[in-house]
Amino acid sequence: MTVPAWRDGLRRVFRAPAVVAGVFAFTLFAALPLALALRGALEAHMGRSLMADAAAEAVNYDWWQEFASQASGLATTFSPAIVGFAATLDNLSSVLDAEPEVLPITAALAAYLVAWTFLSGGILDRLARQRPTRTFGFFGASGVFFWRFLRLSVIAGLVYWFLFSYVHAWLLDEGFRRLTRDVAVERDAFLWRIALYMVFGACLVAANITFDYARIRLVVEDRRSALGALRAALRFVGRHPRTVIGLYALNALVFFVLLGVWSLVAPGAGPVGGLMWVGFAVAQLYVLARIVVKLQFIASQTALFQASMAHAAYTAAPAPVWPESPAVEAIAGVSSTTLR
Amino acid sequence: MHGVMLRSKAAAAALLLVGLVGVEARQAGVQRFDRPQPGARSPRNANYDIDVTLDHAARSLTGRETIRWRNISANPTSELQFHLYWNAWRNLDSTWLRERRLAGDSTPPRADAWGSIDVTRLRVRRPARTDGSFGGIRTNPSFAVQTEGLNGESNTGWIDLTSEQRFLAPDDGNAEDRTVMGVPLPFAVQPQETLDVELAWTGKIPRPFARTGYVDDYYFIAQWFPKLGVLEDRGWNTHQFHRVTEFYSDYGVYDVRITAPREFVVGATGCRASLTPEPPVACAEGIVWLGNNYPQNTHRYWAADVHDFAWTASTRFIDVRRMFEHPGLPRVEMRLLLQPEHAGQETRHFDATAATLRYYGEWFGPYPYNHITIVDPAFQSGSGGMEYPTLFTAGSRLIAPSRVPQPESVTIHEAGHQFWYGIVGSNEFEHAWMDEGLNTFSTARVIDEAGSPDRLALRFFGGFIPWVIEDVRLSRATDGNRLTGYRDNAEADVQATPTFRYWPGTATFITYNKTALWLHTLERHLGWPVLQRIMSTYFDRWKFRHPQPADFFAVVSEVAGRDMSWFFDEAYRSSNVFDYGVQSFTSTRVRLKPDTTSEVRLTPDAVQSASEGTKEPNGYRTVVVVRRFGEAVFPVDVVTTFRDGARVTERWDGRDRRIIYTYNRPSEGLSVEVDPERVLLLDVNYTNNSATLELRAGDASLKWSLKWLVWLQDLMLTYAFFV
Repeated sequence: MTVPAWRDGLRRVFRAPAVVAGVFAFTLFAALPLALALRGALEAHMGRSLMADAAAEAVNYDWWQEFASQASGLATTFSPAIVGFAATLDNLSSVLDAEPEVLPITAALAAYLVAWTFLSGGILDRLARQRPTRTFGFFGASGVFFWRFLRLSVIAGLVYWFLFSYVHAWLLDEGFRRLTRDVAVERDAFLWRIALYMVFGACLVAANITFDYARIRLVVEDRRSALGALRAALRFVGRHPRTVIGLYALNALVFFVLLGVWSLVAPGAGPVGGLMWVGFAVAQLYVLARIVVKLQFIASQTALFQASMAHAAYTAAPAPVWPESPAVEAIAGVSSTTLR
Repeated sequence: MHGVMLRSKAAAAALLLVGLVGVEARQAGVQRFDRPQPGARSPRNANYDIDVTLDHAARSLTGRETIRWRNISANPTSELQFHLYWNAWRNLDSTWLRERRLAGDSTPPRADAWGSIDVTRLRVRRPARTDGSFGGIRTNPSFAVQTEGLNGESNTGWIDLTSEQRFLAPDDGNAEDRTVMGVPLPFAVQPQETLDVELAWTGKIPRPFARTGYVDDYYFIAQWFPKLGVLEDRGWNTHQFHRVTEFYSDYGVYDVRITAPREFVVGATGCRASLTPEPPVACAEGIVWLGNNYPQNTHRYWAADVHDFAWTASTRFIDVRRMFEHPGLPRVEMRLLLQPEHAGQETRHFDATAATLRYYGEWFGPYPYNHITIVDPAFQSGSGGMEYPTLFTAGSRLIAPSRVPQPESVTIHEAGHQFWYGIVGSNEFEHAWMDEGLNTFSTARVIDEAGSPDRLALRFFGGFIPWVIEDVRLSRATDGNRLTGYRDNAEADVQATPTFRYWPGTATFITYNKTALWLHTLERHLGWPVLQRIMSTYFDRWKFRHPQPADFFAVVSEVAGRDMSWFFDEAYRSSNVFDYGVQSFTSTRVRLKPDTTSEVRLTPDAVQSASEGTKEPNGYRTVVVVRRFGEAVFPVDVVTTFRDGARVTERWDGRDRRIIYTYNRPSEGLSVEVDPERVLLLDVNYTNNSATLELRAGDASLKWSLKWLVWLQDLMLTYAFFV
């Protein structure tokens, strides 16, 4: 069931180009204000200096360091880590190593995640129904599920907070330090680090899978209770562990393949002009692919859930008044779910 | 006429200065009798004969030593002072640990981390023999194992002073600090008189502190034995062990026998004179001989004309050797003790060491020893990047991309310390810049000259995974000389302050970075041939001696042929910041008088009258205001470029707060640069050194904000994992 669900998820994502485009635009416009603020800071620092010439043509590392030494807040994130694939490594590493972000970035991330939480209802609804829901339906579903998702997010937030504040500190800070303080061979320490990442990653993935299916059950089954959805998700994962984990692993594999490709093609600094825009376009293609992969996680898990819950009683009770849960629509024959 | 007279006077003064200093080619040092012993390179006034046993199970050392010490100061002394460095980790209130807390690290050492040293016996005597031989300390290594010191001498005349030892705290009066031990003598040791001192001691080996200690089966043993301070003409110079400073001691001969479990590979200062039980003759050097059944081996190392002795032991070392050969320089056997996980990095270590021996040898003076040992430290040993005579620790990583200068930069730096520290023995407690700063400058120069890797790598995932930023090339001038660290801490301390009094958190920036930057500034100001002669003269004059800052400055002025004290007043004797910049730059259309197309220097009030604005504009009035934003003064060039390609260069002495240049020319001004060759590398803000009327900041900021935008999008999508 894993591969069919994955294929069906991919099909659902590709048949929802407006969702893909919308999430892309949302991600772009969420980042744009801060980028404009940074641009202002860079321009102000360069002023009329000739240092801008070298910075425009390639990397002017002297100027960069000079800028960094006077930077504060948002501008402190302007480091060589933003160049090419280093940006991706930097971000993954900062999450896995629980490195705090500066306040403006934290605020932007919080806003972005809240907005994602809002849009998730519409996205899930669209992917579950497998037909265009149009703007009214999309945002209607977003609105309907937002408060339920928000309640679920409180629980998720607590779980992730616990994981990063305690489990991470216990494993990768204190644990790693204790395990490796007497290690004379770096390779051994590296293996310990990998092992601890795997343990912590497994905790993260377990939480992630559970909350993913809880969201799916909230939407597909039109559940009101976040706790009930969470219990239901746990039951679902418990009853289908191999397919659930297999599907997650397959999606993760696709994610890592994408990162591999990106590591090869990620554009470097380059000069201003046409090449700059080509590089930016390539980077946006990568962002688009990341969004497709993210949606693919959601869509394939939704497909798996819908394919697995073959009994009729799981649907929500109310009559199909728009917007209605996809499960109800399926019963009413509004749309045809072809997944077997 | 007036100008000619001034120039003549200046030339005469310079000649007089050169003449005066040149006559006294050998400047007076801190010790009146610091001339080399006959047939030796150094005074050899502190000679150590040491037996030490490593107890691997107990993590301890037991040792005894005999010091034959000669008073080479101008005055008699009735006291001996010793460093007991390992007592820096004896208690929480040692000066070293107090200063570590000041630097921001308040983590107390773990229970099994402490180290200490206790002198269990101390006795002295005036030797009866005066034939120049050193009793048990031989001037040539014998391959027979010595069992006891003081061969052939009577065992009489010793005065036991064990009970007389007391702890001194000359720097901060800290009664809890036991890193300096003083012993009063029952007699005065006269200038040039010799004294034998015998000590026995035990040492608890710490977990790594200050690059000494053990981890697993790796030991790096430094500052491990009771060591005499330096008796200068003005008295004993024996500082406590400080967090930010290193060491200072006299030159001598070290004859050391290290007894360790036989499975350990041992490396040490000097060359190995013997191994007991001796391996078969057929057993090649460098091969660990495990053909006996004795539980322990005794490794005898011998080194002459050095001022310290360090050693290492590990069961895992790969022992590799290669010969350094370069025309005009002596051959040197390079020995590398490599961690097995770094197998494959041998060439990088050897090439970096060879580049150091070559370039330092060519620029400053040849490496005088025929051996050098490179120790690749164990992970978590904290012993990487440290220098000791004829032996140093480098430092590499499991994943070490070839385009990134690690291990090259640390290897070159520590190998370079053989010259600036090992051979020129400056006082690291008081003037750490004299070795660290000179060496940072020299390191960057060698890296540049040798074409070593120069890309920037960032490390992720706990520091284990490097990623090379191909677009970022590290430059010698700014990255090699570490401008960034200095820029952020430029006013932290006056460099002339004794180093041990620097603020612990920022000492390194004043010691390493600032010196390298002002030396490179001097190189660009005077030219490399002159600076090279300065440094080689200084090296030759002060090798195997203890120079003071004034000695270096004197050589600079002497070789440069002019008084450079103004520069050291700014760079060394003050914490003033250098910052020149363009305050304003305008170029406006004006009607020019026929005779005003010239460069004139005007006051702001006079600018308006420089042209007539009543008729059709036929040219441009370009006004440049250059400002000294910082307090420090240095002469700078100001280059104005015009749209027709013309360039006008002005030389400004940089003393006033600002200077105004006005140009009435047919062509519009395009840009202005202050110090365009970047001679003044100490300038903390180079962005403000130029201005242009063709702005590129918009393009550049657009490009970089787009890069950053992608980074932020990526970050947002990474966090989207959680929703």
